[in-house]
Amino acid sequence: MKKNMICMAMAAAMTAGLLTGCGGSTASGSTASDAGEVNVFIWTEYLPDSVVKEFEEKTGIKVNLSTYSSNEDLLAKLKSESEGTYDVIVPSDYMVEQLIGQDMLEKLDKEKLTNFDNLGEAYLNPSYDPGNEYTVAYQGGVAAIAVNTAKVDLEITTYDDLFAPELANSLVMLDDFRAIIGITERSMGYSMNETDPDILSKVQDKLLTLKPNIKLYDSDSPKSAMISGDCVAGVMWSAEVALAMEENPDIQIVYPKEGAYLFMDNLAIAKGAKNYDNALKFIDFILDAEVSTEISAEFPYLNPNAAAVEAMGEEYSANPAKNPPADVFSAGEYISNLDVDTLAIYDEMWTKLKE
Amino acid sequence: MNRQKKAKLRSGVGKIFCAIVYVFLFLPISVIVVNSFNATTTKPYLSWKGFTFDWYIRLFDNDALLHSFGNTILLAVISTLLATAIGTLGAVGMYKYKFRGKNIIDGLLYIPVVIPEIVLGISLLTLFAKVSIPRGMITLVLAHMTFSIPFVIFNVRARLSGYDISIEEASMDLGANRIQTFFQITLPVLAPGIAGGALLAFTLSIDDVIISYFVNGQTKTYPLKVMESIKSGVAPDVNALSTLILIGTILLVVLTQSDILKKHKTAK
Amino acid sequence: MKKKSNYNWRTNTLPALVMVGPVSVIMILLVAVPLIYVAVMSFCSIDEYYNVVFRFNIQNYIRLANVNYLKIYAQSFIIALLTTVFCLLIAYPFSYLIARTKSSKKKLLYMLVIIPFWTNSLIRIYGWRTFLGTNGWLNTLLQFLHITKEPVDFLFKQGTTVLGMVYCLIPFMILPLYTAIEKLDSSLLEASSDLGAKRAATFFEVILPLTSGGIFSGCIMVFIPCLGYFFVSDILGGGNSDVIGNLIERQFQSGNNWPLGAALSIILILITLILVKIYQAFGGDMESLGV
Repeated sequence: MKKNMICMAMAAAMTAGLLTGCGGSTASGSTASDAGEVNVFIWTEYLPDSVVKEFEEKTGIKVNLSTYSSNEDLLAKLKSESEGTYDVIVPSDYMVEQLIGQDMLEKLDKEKLTNFDNLGEAYLNPSYDPGNEYTVAYQGGVAAIAVNTAKVDLEITTYDDLFAPELANSLVMLDDFRAIIGITERSMGYSMNETDPDILSKVQDKLLTLKPNIKLYDSDSPKSAMISGDCVAGVMWSAEVALAMEENPDIQIVYPKEGAYLFMDNLAIAKGAKNYDNALKFIDFILDAEVSTEISAEFPYLNPNAAAVEAMGEEYSANPAKNPPADVFSAGEYISNLDVDTLAIYDEMWTKLKE
Repeated sequence: MNRQKKAKLRSGVGKIFCAIVYVFLFLPISVIVVNSFNATTTKPYLSWKGFTFDWYIRLFDNDALLHSFGNTILLAVISTLLATAIGTLGAVGMYKYKFRGKNIIDGLLYIPVVIPEIVLGISLLTLFAKVSIPRGMITLVLAHMTFSIPFVIFNVRARLSGYDISIEEASMDLGANRIQTFFQITLPVLAPGIAGGALLAFTLSIDDVIISYFVNGQTKTYPLKVMESIKSGVAPDVNALSTLILIGTILLVVLTQSDILKKHKTAK
Repeated sequence: MKKKSNYNWRTNTLPALVMVGPVSVIMILLVAVPLIYVAVMSFCSIDEYYNVVFRFNIQNYIRLANVNYLKIYAQSFIIALLTTVFCLLIAYPFSYLIARTKSSKKKLLYMLVIIPFWTNSLIRIYGWRTFLGTNGWLNTLLQFLHITKEPVDFLFKQGTTVLGMVYCLIPFMILPLYTAIEKLDSSLLEASSDLGAKRAATFFEVILPLTSGGIFSGCIMVFIPCLGYFFVSDILGGGNSDVIGNLIERQFQSGNNWPLGAALSIILILITLILVKIYQAFGGDMESLGV
């Protein structure tokens, strides 16, 4: 009996061997090893494959790409892997602050960033990294609401509307505790960085009323569930909504009236990076106006690259999902780091939501 | 008459039941095969946009995917060889010799077999992180070897239970040294158990997700690559590679099995 | 005297060391030490930057005794139990029918069970997601046949997770059952029916006891992995039906609280130990789990 199973293992092995035979040669053919490599650790669905290929062709540097789904994932990997595993990383605002605080970033040699001036003035010198010593802005956006208007009769204008019982078992939500709890806090008029235990216990009560409405948690590609029709509304990063809108015109973007969850992701180099110079080259390449345009075409987030924005013209700047209006930013809020005790409360709320 | 009817009905129900189970087993496979021919080029690659063979060609441009596949094979081969060598020696040694702490080693062998893989994965992760071994192919090999060894040992042990140690003594009496005896007397007797254990180890290694997930560092194996692609919708080229593997497996099974059948017939 | 001890070293100690040494070193360094380390870590805590701080306390266990966590353990158990029951209910008659097939197709039938499992398990699970989606194959078919008007929600429920678990783990039930049933002596079954026993009586008094070994090892090999298979509940459960594995994974990845994750792992180990003890109490053979 067992032997049959085993025969098949052998068969599988041989097939595999044959296939790798062909694959191996292809792989080695395109790998230029002289120029070295660069290890890029970035969010899922955030960097087009074509950009990676162009960089490899232009510089001969091999890019090893890995992805993560939340800032906390990034931090966990940075801590557990040995120093030097990753070169380029893309932490969000509050995580930059934390990484700098723990001395986990290398300073950027801005002399070598020839395209640094492409960045718009508004995105320079951020509060979490004064003087851009460690980071440069990559892409930003909003945790916006996506609604499939053909399937949802309710008019949705706020985060609070998502708690309506009519939306039972129909939402896709970011699988990110700061996002979901933050949304709940905003819907009640509190800050996303609330620390008062009494207020947080009220937040928890309200959060649990959202539970019956959530069908799916997905941070990586929530648009998939909107496009496939599995979910009819939800909260996701603004560019994901933009992409879903392109696939299905019934889907619309809503910026919540309470003020939205804002984020800005930044290119940085991890402490002890083994390929510091290549990492700088990679970052400089990303800051190139043309490359930046290409990135926005595939992942239409808020682009801090002024030169690229100019090149993209109306198609980009007039699209509210791709280029969120200024008042969204003035009304919104960034998240900040929490102390250990508050973090434990947030974690408890998250567990309770997920039970 | 009535009884015959009943028996017939019973066997009919049985056949239908088996058919349903087979449909259950093959359903997702058919989804994979069909989607490998989907002409869609936009994520999440769900809607049907027509039939194409393109993905089978584009697959060979996807270096990262092919590379991960190469890693999986390399990892499986190395960890299987190590586990088989160490496991076989260990099984024979534990059968022949008594030593202090034998019970402990014996008990430890059951752990990778019974505890959920995730526990083994995180325990290795914490260890590797503590002693600062960079995660990568080396840690993957160590991890895969560790969970494979017990399977090799148990398979070899099953052969050993009927093994008469006196033939080794006879061999040495006839002038063979210890190493010659091991290779010429002991190994041939144990060969089926060793092969069984090795192939089981290989199988476990090529499909392992959970343990690899915690100790892989920057090295991607094929299952981990699939895990990554699932996040944004499985691309048709991943489906195409899976289909190729499936076809290859079935072909080789048919070839080897029909061979056995033929031999069987001629023997009769 | 000296010569003799030297002889002993050459004939006994050295070969024993060469043979048993490597496996002992690996089992101690890569199984025992890491698990002990996890146990130690489960009594530690973290600082504000999520670093592990070695300061003994039982805070983690107190946190895990909280109602929220207990509910997830319970949910985990229900998922594992349902999975085991469904696997057994499907696999037993199925293995019986295949193992007792007299035709030449037996080998083919057996192989057809194994072949699907040579395809990567993650991608097969994702196949279910495509099949069961709102606009997936099944809903398209149901609507085409006018069985339902609106698409039915199949995905992202506890039931979907159970389906995925059953699918992933059913070979571990089929294989031991098939072996046990194939070993049944058909003359015994005939004797039983010749003696006038009803089919049901033959089943419960002869077949079932003789195959109980297969049932027990099948159940243990389905139930225990089920508690840890976080990717199935991730892909098919949509994050709504977590098992203990998801909790551990979260603490080691996004949660960044390794001591808490370590404590969860220790709890999972204890649960496993209890289940294995029960298995042994029923006369289960440990080696049959690994062969």
